[in-house]
Amino acid sequence: MTWMAPRTVAEAVRLKAEWPEATLVAGGTFVGILTRQGLLAGEDWISLQNVRELRELSTSSELALGAMVTHRRVELDPDVAAGWPGVRQVFAAVASPRVRNAATVGGMLGDADYASDPPAMLVALDAWVEALSVRGLRRIPVAELIVGHYQTSLEEDELITRVLVPRGRHHVTYRKLRTRSREDRPCVAVAASLHQGRVSVVVGAVAERPQRFPDLCATWDPGDGASAAEIAAGYADRIDPVGDHRGSAAYRTRMIAVEVRRALDTLAPAALSSQAAGR
Amino acid sequence: MTDPRIRAAIRYPNDLTVPGMWHVRLVRSPYPAARVTGVDASLVPREVVVLTPAEVEPLGRYGCQISDQQVLAGVARHVGDPVVAVAAADEATAREAANLVEVGYEQLPAVFDERAALRADAPLVHDSHAVSDSDAAYFGLRPLEGTNVCHRFRIRTAGLPQGRPYTADPEPDDHAEGFDAAQVIVDETFRMPATQQVPMEPHACIAGWRDGRLEVTTGTQTPFNLRQDLAGLFGLPEDGVRIVCPPMGGSFGAKTFVRIEAIAAAVARRLDRPVRLALDRDEEFVTITRHAATVRVRLGATRDGRFVAKRVWCWVNTGAYADCGPGVAMKMGYAGVGPYRFDHVAVDSWCVYTNLPPAGAFRGYGAAQSVWASERVTDLLAAELGVDPVELRRRNLLVDGDVFCTGETVHDVHFEELLDDAARAVGWRPGGDNRGKGVAVMLKGMQTPSRAEVGLRRVDDGQFEVLSGTTEMGQGAAEAIARLAADLLGVEVNRVEVPPPDTDRVPYDTRTTSSRSTHMMGRALEAAVEDLKNSGSDHGHGRVDNQGGLDPDTGQGVASSHWHQGAAAAAVEVDDETGLLTLRSVHASSYAGRVVNRAAAELQQEGSIIMAIGTTLFEELTHDQGHVVGPNLSDYNIPSALDCAAVTQTILEVEGAEVHGLGETALPPVPPAIGNALATLGYRPTELPLTPERVLDCAEDAS
Amino acid sequence: MNLLLQVNGAPIQVEVEPGVMLLEVLRDRLGLLGARGTCGVGLCGTCTVLLDGEPVSSCILLAPLAQGHAITTVEGVPDDDPVVQAFDRHHAFQCGYCIPGMVLTARSFLAECARARRRPSREQIAESLGGNLCRCGCYVKIIDAVEEVGS
Repeated sequence: MTWMAPRTVAEAVRLKAEWPEATLVAGGTFVGILTRQGLLAGEDWISLQNVRELRELSTSSELALGAMVTHRRVELDPDVAAGWPGVRQVFAAVASPRVRNAATVGGMLGDADYASDPPAMLVALDAWVEALSVRGLRRIPVAELIVGHYQTSLEEDELITRVLVPRGRHHVTYRKLRTRSREDRPCVAVAASLHQGRVSVVVGAVAERPQRFPDLCATWDPGDGASAAEIAAGYADRIDPVGDHRGSAAYRTRMIAVEVRRALDTLAPAALSSQAAGR
Repeated sequence: MTDPRIRAAIRYPNDLTVPGMWHVRLVRSPYPAARVTGVDASLVPREVVVLTPAEVEPLGRYGCQISDQQVLAGVARHVGDPVVAVAAADEATAREAANLVEVGYEQLPAVFDERAALRADAPLVHDSHAVSDSDAAYFGLRPLEGTNVCHRFRIRTAGLPQGRPYTADPEPDDHAEGFDAAQVIVDETFRMPATQQVPMEPHACIAGWRDGRLEVTTGTQTPFNLRQDLAGLFGLPEDGVRIVCPPMGGSFGAKTFVRIEAIAAAVARRLDRPVRLALDRDEEFVTITRHAATVRVRLGATRDGRFVAKRVWCWVNTGAYADCGPGVAMKMGYAGVGPYRFDHVAVDSWCVYTNLPPAGAFRGYGAAQSVWASERVTDLLAAELGVDPVELRRRNLLVDGDVFCTGETVHDVHFEELLDDAARAVGWRPGGDNRGKGVAVMLKGMQTPSRAEVGLRRVDDGQFEVLSGTTEMGQGAAEAIARLAADLLGVEVNRVEVPPPDTDRVPYDTRTTSSRSTHMMGRALEAAVEDLKNSGSDHGHGRVDNQGGLDPDTGQGVASSHWHQGAAAAAVEVDDETGLLTLRSVHASSYAGRVVNRAAAELQQEGSIIMAIGTTLFEELTHDQGHVVGPNLSDYNIPSALDCAAVTQTILEVEGAEVHGLGETALPPVPPAIGNALATLGYRPTELPLTPERVLDCAEDAS
Repeated sequence: MNLLLQVNGAPIQVEVEPGVMLLEVLRDRLGLLGARGTCGVGLCGTCTVLLDGEPVSSCILLAPLAQGHAITTVEGVPDDDPVVQAFDRHHAFQCGYCIPGMVLTARSFLAECARARRRPSREQIAESLGGNLCRCGCYVKIIDAVEEVGS
């Protein structure tokens, strides 16, 4: 058994290419759970704990979160709160402070867990990731990153290095419908964002991947409540949800129609005033 | 010095090790019903020991009320039933080895539902039912051979026909059951699913043999029952077994009777060395649960709201093994009648086998399931009559001198006061608008008959030791006993030590269940202190016997030497679109008689309320063809700090009264209080938990 | 591999397989039994320890990840600590199994409040403890104790 702890991103991707069977360790949360539950018997490990670059957080242009930045840090950073309230809100919604201390943004996206909070919001904000391998850097929109149940479009030798979120998305809302304990994961999650007169609504936690239908969003008339209800019904109609302990598929379908409508109603005032301001 | 529990200065069973001990892991059946046809351990490393059902077959069967369990299952009767045990010098090796054992199975038909299990064509989980010869089988058991009923409890008040032939699904016979005089009748069926106790500390024990004696250190609420059952299994006299009970990291009924100790003892004997057996969290879910139950209640009253007759049916799903299910079925039966006066009462409660993990003791001991049904029906009747639900109850609640459906006269009862207090706590407006508010009131029994003995030893001048079989699971038993003893002896509390029970040192006590211990030990201590003073020696012994019991065919006799009495009220809001229920306020009022340790009493009460919130809003074990779905704490939610903002309580004391246990009282009335509150908002809940989905499904105008 | 860990202020060397969790190192190698393995998925909080003053789930933390950080277990909290004293005064415990995790989490939270010069509300305290499960249901008294220290 080997524990490798590279100091640079370049070294990390090189090791990833040389040790295709090795287990990559970011915050270690997911890998820790799998190991403890006997579902993963790692032999060789590549830990990112010493790669300082991956812990950088920059707010100078777009928001750039290094893959090893923890959820807790995103939640507490004042510049993130000021410039990207949706990002702050969604990362703060995850589990408990203790879980957020260890879970990293890169690890969370790499796990592609359908009940995870951040992906829906990141898709709504048109975020993308940078994925590095020995073959070079790739930009992947988050919407194209998560492709299936715990599956990403990353190549075997690719490593998420940064998560980037464009500026200027101040009118956002995140709805997390919990059906059991207040500590539970979401049954239905809806993230919605207004940008340049258009709304982007994404439903998470109901299917393998976040669900977005730009054609439905384009029909929105924020001055007409029926329009929101129609769009919500459209989402409910098009999504084929899972059933789990938090709710059956039939219940989720009903709730998608409710929660999407409520998200749009929340953003309606801001949408109307920016329409009025001629933006 | 602060309490040692705060900084981990005590040792729980899960913490303990002994030199030279080996580690046991279990191989469990993947089928709900299957005969083991063979065990192939050829891939298991030579130094690992494997114990098979054939090897333990000669030990025979055990069970606290019905002898239906084997140490390792030659016929597996639920998914998760232990069939093989492996032991190795270190835990990792034992875990790996357990995965390498190949077990052959011949699948058998299985049944999962408590009513389906009573159909004529249902497969039999057990071919025959043998009543145990043990202290825990303390009431007349009535198994029905040739069926899945391991116990049938019945109440028929005087004047009703006795001894009707057995039918699993009897239709009400109004004329025979005293409903003639009823002008309004309400009849509804309810269900509470199985849930899990989820003690934070999983089961763990160490077993070893020394000079032909079996010594077991384990978390248990029932040391003497455990001692008796293990002695019976291994052919030893009772003093050939020693049970040592460190304080537990919670239990709530999960750590009772024989749980993992028989397997550990069998492996230890085979190895001739001590072994440790501890469960993982997922194993907890297939080890013991709370009984799922279907309860039907038919309530008849006069038009002016006087209760005339009540008919209760309980179908109690005890899973693959009876454990204490018969006792739970009995208690569920009479708790379902409630603290009211009736002219006629008939109850049938069936303890039914299915191929699910065994159900056993769970805080509330059967009361929660039937009180859910009974108190919902009380409100359904109030709605029919157009009477205020609090007022309807007041007209019918038992008062001192009244006779309960078992024929016993009740004394020291305060139901009306408790109900009024709970109603007041949520701002109840008598005869006014109480939308969003609900109440419930109940009684549950204390283990009767039972016996408590206690020893007292003067260690030094002014320093004493109490030898009590009461075990500590967080309820503060040792503290309470120390306080009671100190008061009686006239010394400071810190001069009295109450060591954890060791059956070699402490005298007999029935068990630490049923919220009986503070009361019973308190009385035994009075006798022990008297004895110490009179004897002129350094030793005192006290014994108290609590007499009573019920005729299993008529339910007449003494169910409880005194009653645990509780009321609850809730104020709720519902989001009609999502079904999300928000608790504005939940209040429990319980009768304590006399409180020994106020902080501990409040904690027990708050703990019961919070556990009840889980029962009411989201706790549920589901299964897929007998497999428990999601046996982990992510899929199975228990209440967190964020789920209890609204909890308040009252503990009622009366000058000169007896100590009444508080460990469970606040749990049963909370679910119906919440359900009744929900019902005022246009819903008709009958099934728990009240998840948002179920709330929407029970909307009265549901399309 | 050889790990150098800082535990309760003292440097400790242990030889471990890389796949071992910090919880097992603390319990099985160092005899520190205050952190407990209960749910196996880092959810219930009984395995909580502080890493540089912040709570983490030690049951799913690969031990090598703890290298280079200050680890605090409940055994490293003195008896006269204000949080410990408050838990005692309020009798904020029953069986005690979850309490070390509660104490460590509360201390970390209160330190953060002190730095921000903020007096936490009961709701905020409940939020901070949301990931620490207590089946005995001591939440009300635990929040009482933390509220008192926070005031």
